[in-house]
Amino acid sequence: MNSRTWMVVSLLITCLVAGFALAEVFAMTKPKIEQQKIDATNSALGQVLATAQSFKEITKDSLWYGLNQSGAKTGIVIRSARRGYGGPVPVLVGLDLAGRIVGLKVASPAEGLKETPGLGLKATEDWFARQFVGLDSAIALKQEGGTIDAISGATITSRAVARGVAQAISKYSEHLKP
Amino acid sequence: MSLTKIFIGAFLVNNILLMRFIALCSFFGVSTSMDTSVGMSAAVVFVTMLAAWVCWVLWHALLLPLGLGFLRTAVFILVIAGLVQFVEMFLRKYMRGLYSAMGIYLPLITTNCAILAVTFLNVDYGFNLLQATIYALGVGGGYSLAIILFAAIRERLEDSPVSPSFRGYPIAFVGASLISLAFLGFANLFGITI
Amino acid sequence: MTRTKPSRLSYLTTGIIKENPTLILMIGLCPTLATTTSARDALGMSAAASFVLILSNVVISLVRKFIQPSIRIPIFIIIISTFVTIIDYALQAYQPSLYRVLGVFVPLIVVNCIILGRAEAFAYNHGVFDSFLDGLGNSLGFTLLLVVMGSVREFFAAGTIFGKVVTPAWYRSAPMLFMIFPPGAFFLIGILKALVIKLKLDKG
Repeated sequence: MNSRTWMVVSLLITCLVAGFALAEVFAMTKPKIEQQKIDATNSALGQVLATAQSFKEITKDSLWYGLNQSGAKTGIVIRSARRGYGGPVPVLVGLDLAGRIVGLKVASPAEGLKETPGLGLKATEDWFARQFVGLDSAIALKQEGGTIDAISGATITSRAVARGVAQAISKYSEHLKP
Repeated sequence: MSLTKIFIGAFLVNNILLMRFIALCSFFGVSTSMDTSVGMSAAVVFVTMLAAWVCWVLWHALLLPLGLGFLRTAVFILVIAGLVQFVEMFLRKYMRGLYSAMGIYLPLITTNCAILAVTFLNVDYGFNLLQATIYALGVGGGYSLAIILFAAIRERLEDSPVSPSFRGYPIAFVGASLISLAFLGFANLFGITI
Repeated sequence: MTRTKPSRLSYLTTGIIKENPTLILMIGLCPTLATTTSARDALGMSAAASFVLILSNVVISLVRKFIQPSIRIPIFIIIISTFVTIIDYALQAYQPSLYRVLGVFVPLIVVNCIILGRAEAFAYNHGVFDSFLDGLGNSLGFTLLLVVMGSVREFFAAGTIFGKVVTPAWYRSAPMLFMIFPPGAFFLIGILKALVIKLKLDKG
């Protein structure tokens, strides 16, 4: 084989081997990747609505019904996001059928939160989320007439969380019927 | 997302060099003088636009419909490498003036991560072709802005009495840190986050 | 045998200290600055890049006899990008939270100058085992610097190292946030580089 043909052939062989190897890897990891996504969502949903055994997605990525063992609705989970300082601040809100907040989770940086470490990122801390539990209306920061203590130095992020929660509740209140 | 916001986001808020830390090798390697910085900037803007178009079309017309998403990394980098070769040959043959201005920077561009990053981010952000073009322009412009600003500083640094252990790279890094601190002031400008 | 042994060992060690790819040769800076906001992320990034560097070095040295010089670069790029895509999908499947933090820097490993540089300068004209050692040495050098950067930045900005609390509470209530932002990264690598130059100057 002369060198020019070999040049083309060797390039082709490399491309083919690489292509097949990648197709194989893709096929191997694809189910695992999808499973990871489902697991991550389910575990986050479980954290904000502990009474549910399973979840049924009603609106893609923004509304789930929590169901108990017999399949009856125990509450709903809503994902909502208002703009904070570095980007949208995604929150996951669990509501019981009376419309009270039973759980709140602010997304971690690995889940897409881009707030400032040490300031806005404190929104992911437990004490901040716990302030919302038990409320059902008038969700706002103290300086805006509500009951929520803002994180010091991160009012914009705190407000984004509070407004995200308030928006979630008003937007989906009709889903609270059993 | 409006086109102005995309441009300002790429140009200032998330400046590719100072905020995202992409393409730093060329940033420090080339910014030693103003002339090389301008030449390199021109080459980067030009190739980024071309690569953004070609990769966007390839992704939406070929890879996505055929379910070949897993070939993205390989295809995009090969497209850029091929494109750079092609542009170099074209300029050498037909546009001698432009070739002598930016020709020597072209081979360096293949491993300039800014270009590859733009093609990936265009896909990740789900931009349409117009948005992708504006984004590429913003990134190229932001690259030029940062590298030309920095070249001006480094030319002065050459004549400054810097302590021996800080001479060269270390003081350049400290200078970059200060410019980057200034760019931090653009954070959340107009609520832009991309 | 007595002559080959030290040289083999030196393939491994030059990459770690004497020709540390990032701190001495100043290549591969992007991940060094961008993915070192915490020690754990820095370690994850180094592991991904090391995987690609070692395997591409080994594969390229294996097939180097069949690669014609004029098309070596495209072939290197195909080989490297294959390994990059493999680690990309492996991270998505098994370390999804790390993958989301590293983001676009995983596919960008393909243009990491260290990897193409070692392929070109070493693997293309050395044996398999030597190339493996060279890849391992350079990986360790890269990892060393990233983990140092990540630990120092995490220490100052959050008061922790690898998530372990190492500072008193008064520090953590008002830490030096500057270090976690881009300016802090530039500043820190400037100081590290100055230290290296100082050591060299002192040696003579």
